[in-house]
Amino acid sequence: MSFAPRFGPSLCTAWITKPRVAWTAALCLTALSAATFSVRAADRSFADVVRNVQPKMVKIFGAGGYRGLTAYCTGVLVSPEGHILTVYSPTLDSRELRVHLYDGTRYEAEVVATEPQLDVALIKIRTPAELKLNDLPYFDITAPIPDVQPGDWVLAFSNLFEIATGDEPVSVQHGVIAAIAPLAARRGVHEAPYKGTVFVLDAITNNPGSHGGIVTTRRGEWIGLIGKEVRNTLSETWINYAMPIKDLRRFVEEARRGVYKRMPAPEDTTKIVQPLAEHGIVFVPDVLDLTPPYVEGVLRGSPAEQAGLKPDDLIVFVRLPASPGSSDYEERVVPSIKSFRQLTASLEPGTRIQIIVRRQQQLLTFDLTLAPRPKGNPAPAKKDSSL
Amino acid sequence: MTTLAIGLLSASLLWEQISAEVDAGLEAAFKAAVARVAPAVVQIQTVGGLETLPTGAARGGPLLRGLGPTTGLIVAADGYIVSSSFNFVHLPAGITVHVPNGQTYPARLVARDRTRMLTLLKIEAHRLPVPAVTPKEEIHVGMWVAALGRTLSVSPQGPPSVSIGIVSATRRIWGKAVQTDAKVSPINYGGPLIDVYGRVVGILVPMSPRGDQETAGVEWYDSGIGFAVPLEDILRVLPKLKEGRNLGRGLLGIRWQAGHPLTAPPIVGDVLPGSAADRAGLRSGDRIVEIDGVPIERQAQAQLVLGPKYEGESVRLKIRRGEQTLELGPVALGADAPILRSAYLGILPMRDDATAGVEVRYVFADSPAAKAGLRPGDRIVTCNKLPVTDRNSLRSALDNLLPGTEIVLGVKRQGTEDKIEDIKLTTALAPLDDRVPDQLPVGTRKQAQAAGRSPAVPAALEKPRQPADKPVPAKQPQAKPQQPAKEVRKGAWEHHDPLSGHRFWVYVPENYDPNITYALVVWLHPPGDPMKDVILQVWRDLCQEHHLILLGPEADAPSGWVTSEADLIKSDIQYMLSQYAIDRFRVVTHGLGRGGDMALYLAFDAPELIAGAAAVGGTLDHLPAREPTRRPPRFYLVAGQRDPRLEGIRSLRPRLLERNVPVHWTEIAELGSGYIPQADGIRHLVRWIDSLDRL
Repeated sequence: MSFAPRFGPSLCTAWITKPRVAWTAALCLTALSAATFSVRAADRSFADVVRNVQPKMVKIFGAGGYRGLTAYCTGVLVSPEGHILTVYSPTLDSRELRVHLYDGTRYEAEVVATEPQLDVALIKIRTPAELKLNDLPYFDITAPIPDVQPGDWVLAFSNLFEIATGDEPVSVQHGVIAAIAPLAARRGVHEAPYKGTVFVLDAITNNPGSHGGIVTTRRGEWIGLIGKEVRNTLSETWINYAMPIKDLRRFVEEARRGVYKRMPAPEDTTKIVQPLAEHGIVFVPDVLDLTPPYVEGVLRGSPAEQAGLKPDDLIVFVRLPASPGSSDYEERVVPSIKSFRQLTASLEPGTRIQIIVRRQQQLLTFDLTLAPRPKGNPAPAKKDSSL
Repeated sequence: MTTLAIGLLSASLLWEQISAEVDAGLEAAFKAAVARVAPAVVQIQTVGGLETLPTGAARGGPLLRGLGPTTGLIVAADGYIVSSSFNFVHLPAGITVHVPNGQTYPARLVARDRTRMLTLLKIEAHRLPVPAVTPKEEIHVGMWVAALGRTLSVSPQGPPSVSIGIVSATRRIWGKAVQTDAKVSPINYGGPLIDVYGRVVGILVPMSPRGDQETAGVEWYDSGIGFAVPLEDILRVLPKLKEGRNLGRGLLGIRWQAGHPLTAPPIVGDVLPGSAADRAGLRSGDRIVEIDGVPIERQAQAQLVLGPKYEGESVRLKIRRGEQTLELGPVALGADAPILRSAYLGILPMRDDATAGVEVRYVFADSPAAKAGLRPGDRIVTCNKLPVTDRNSLRSALDNLLPGTEIVLGVKRQGTEDKIEDIKLTTALAPLDDRVPDQLPVGTRKQAQAAGRSPAVPAALEKPRQPADKPVPAKQPQAKPQQPAKEVRKGAWEHHDPLSGHRFWVYVPENYDPNITYALVVWLHPPGDPMKDVILQVWRDLCQEHHLILLGPEADAPSGWVTSEADLIKSDIQYMLSQYAIDRFRVVTHGLGRGGDMALYLAFDAPELIAGAAAVGGTLDHLPAREPTRRPPRFYLVAGQRDPRLEGIRSLRPRLLERNVPVHWTEIAELGSGYIPQADGIRHLVRWIDSLDRL
């Protein structure tokens, strides 16, 4: 009877009452299970996956412990020699960077390369020359990555809140991929550096110390690196996410070989620059943080007048080239006058755009071809306030 | 033994294998379920509106609004969409709806359900996909569910976001919502909670048992505590919402006898005049036995049956009155938010008066009392032939009358004390513009006797005061120490609770006399600055002269007050009530700026404890939950015309008046966001506090 609990109460305890019956059942089911294995080999249990993944996870300890910065984070082994991928954070900025392996072995480590644009770092275990490591369990970053979708079950591994120390395995969480979407996030008042598409998770995976942890599929395939704690600007809530490893592959491979070159810093696109072209729309005074883009008037002879925009139209969307000169158009929501100005500021004269407005209870679309800015005419912002 | 070991091993492997297959099956089933509902899950974009969400003092400041799209669910093929009211709290200028078929439509806001935090939108579209509904009787705790949202959808045609969990409870928030541990947050508010067959269980909304604002409950986002309003309930009221009718809560109009709702028997303490309960014939002391056939044994059960009801819905009551069992109703429940008001005479009663009856201290001009010829010095001894023993008994006699009732007061006049004169008068509604008398006679009987200073106070501490109406304190050799057994702390002192870290300071006038009832002024400081020294300097003399005690709780965070601190402040007040002779009708919250917000919030939160709120530069974006109360707290609002928040502060007054709450309003031209500048202004406020026990 000692093995009955292993079956779990829901399946077996109810009808396994005598050892003999239990025996028969166990043997029958064993045969059955062998058959199942051959059919669905890919379906591994969580326990199996965890056994496989845990030895590749490391706990990282470094600088921090003040002003809300943790002195610990998580990492994942990506080479048998002890290369570890983690998230770029002040924790790594320490002369006494230490890692604890799965079995409790402690090593010093050093930073090999960092990439602020991706918010990742590669560190390596430092060992005396006579003690060269070459047989650590690791994830192969070049392995094929499965295609995943929202709704896929995932497991997350990280040392959140420094629960694990020494030879304790890191914490495992279970959830689903809630969405695959671009990260629109901020950390404090600053925008988060990582701008790519991420896996948004429905488990609370992004906690102090979990950055550098990993996300795998239900079957244990590595798909993502857990990022820092950030707020989603779409909803102003904390977001749980992981960066897809396919976007980190080049970094890991080149950094390992010592040839990685950092990405150039992106241009600051948030500044309102002097618009290059004229649309001829005069907005209501922009007095609020989010003044709705109501048309106050249109300049005579301007593209807006020719297209048929009228006072009191409310601009809702604008369709513009995805990049300068591109023939691919993307539709953008226009929540405020400010955002309309930002969206259209860098468009060249001659660019065709579509403006979708709400007029009474209708949505109307207007085609505009932007005109050159008339000479001696002050910036549109000035014109608004003078009206 | 070897066989056994092999058996064990294979059993364990087998179990892992079965578990993996169950996981795979569930994953696949939910993907299919999501795909089935997805065409009815729309993305909502808004244009314009507030950048911060109004939560008032509730969260220690405004909540930043997300700029992303939100979610809604198609509930009728001809373009009706239900969403969470949270998605429109910022009052957008325009709303558009992206239907997953690729079309975009401008939307019109049709109606709101204020009980369930839902908003109905209409778009001019036809033949839209409508999802299947999970019948309420099939919703049970433990069933798998998924929460879907569109905030993260790059395009409305793509898959919605998914979070998977189980139903944690049914009939939550007074029977209105299903609770789930799927992650519910602004990224899926307004979206559906679906079952594994792709049917809709309910619409996801933020909700909290502690507040009825649209933003209440947001603090629980992604916590594993999420709520959805059952779609079946929504469809039941959909026809009304389609007509453009906003739906509010239905109220019976009773207050229970004191006790904890989970343990106290459902005995009616008080029936509000004109309410549904009043119309049904319910009386104080009745015990409710059944509501709509549901047996009721505790107050909470009654709330559970009444909680989901809308205004205008009817209920039947079975009650026990003495030996009788009576059936009352059906009676239509009343509308939300009647702040009912007591009959008003227009007098101030004399306090600390041992003689039977109520001495008239002051008569308000043009009041019913003035018209009937009541004069200061008169002593009211009966009301409608029933004896009036003291302030409290007159107050409760008036509480049971509607304004406009004709009453007869038995009055003893000065000089003719042996004769009782009948004065007939018609009570009125108290005026909403809360008038403050220019001059007030002394409010306590004890003080007039001039013994009102404790012998423990050295004379040196006594400030020289020469109010004309107060006799100069003479040395009274026979003055015995009052309540010698109890030594109370006087002067300024501080308290720090080492466990919670909570601090407050207190100022009790050095001439404190336990035989005089004091007013309690609860000072709520602006963020980051307790202002203790300033307040003490301004108020110290006034406290001695006008019998005031100051209590200054301190906010935990430098960023200011959060509503959860209301309970701490309330317990501080309770502590003061237990230690000092404090007049319960003159407990006032007083604050500056965001501290003023907190002062206002507390008055709504604890009307049984707080008689009034005096806020300088304070406002509330949303007035908190409104329980019917007989005597609403009174408000004293001061706005500086140079205050950057002036518009918000100004907007509060009409909203309070709309709720029949008395307001005194002052605007000071040269004032920014600082404290009342002139001594006159503060003396005026002191008179308002002194006149809070008006009847």
